[in-house]
Amino acid sequence: MGPVGSVEGRGGAVMMMRALGPGSVSSFLKVILDVVYAALIVGLGAVGLLLIAALVFSFDPGLLRGMTLSAGGASLASRWPAVTGGLLAAGLYIAGVLVIVGCLRRIFATLTAGDPFHPDNVSRLRLIGAMLAALELGRYGVWAVGAWLMPEVAKARPGLSLTAWFSVLVVFVLAEVFREGARLRREAELTI
Amino acid sequence: MPIQVQLDRVLFERRMSLTELADRVGVTIANLSILKTGKARAVRFSTLAALCRELDCQPGDLLTYEPGPSEAPD
Repeated sequence: MGPVGSVEGRGGAVMMMRALGPGSVSSFLKVILDVVYAALIVGLGAVGLLLIAALVFSFDPGLLRGMTLSAGGASLASRWPAVTGGLLAAGLYIAGVLVIVGCLRRIFATLTAGDPFHPDNVSRLRLIGAMLAALELGRYGVWAVGAWLMPEVAKARPGLSLTAWFSVLVVFVLAEVFREGARLRREAELTI
Repeated sequence: MPIQVQLDRVLFERRMSLTELADRVGVTIANLSILKTGKARAVRFSTLAALCRELDCQPGDLLTYEPGPSEAPD
């Protein structure tokens, strides 16, 4: 077991260097995650501001009297409730994606710290899976509400996205793999 | 764990401190404490051999078996 263990240890160390060094896959992923995270926060802020504006105008359309806004030929003023609902849905969607990316960043932090099989990563992965499922269900929900409130607009029926549900399944399977990894890590810690 | 580590007793018989043993064996005091308090899940043969070498004993002097609950909870 000793020699095999040390060979694995050396192999692992080499892998770590390649996986974590400058110009490696992980540094590339880290940049992507950071950029997406920043963009999502900016997007959420923008949607929040627009939502506040839409709420103000929907309660008091007179504020817009001086301006002429139109969308699709019809005056936007008559559609403030729909705009507000759409913004709310967009905000919730961005918030959901933000939670997922936040979890990914924290998982990535444990990887760069050299401890990817941290027990917390199991719950993070489960949260990501649940969030993906919730976003997909939310999509159906938004369509249903839209079809109920504005039957003339929401004609396109959202198809059952197999890819989305497949990714939920993949994430939950990975969470179980990480749970076993965390158990093995704990066992290795308690092997003297 | 039905396997009990008798490190305390053997150390007492040899009049050796845990720190000294840790230095000689090359295992951290923290890990030796885990072993001594029975929290360890497994012992490497290399560690066991080093312990036996420094304590001048056999594995049977360090480990005893008493029937009991087989697995510690996770």
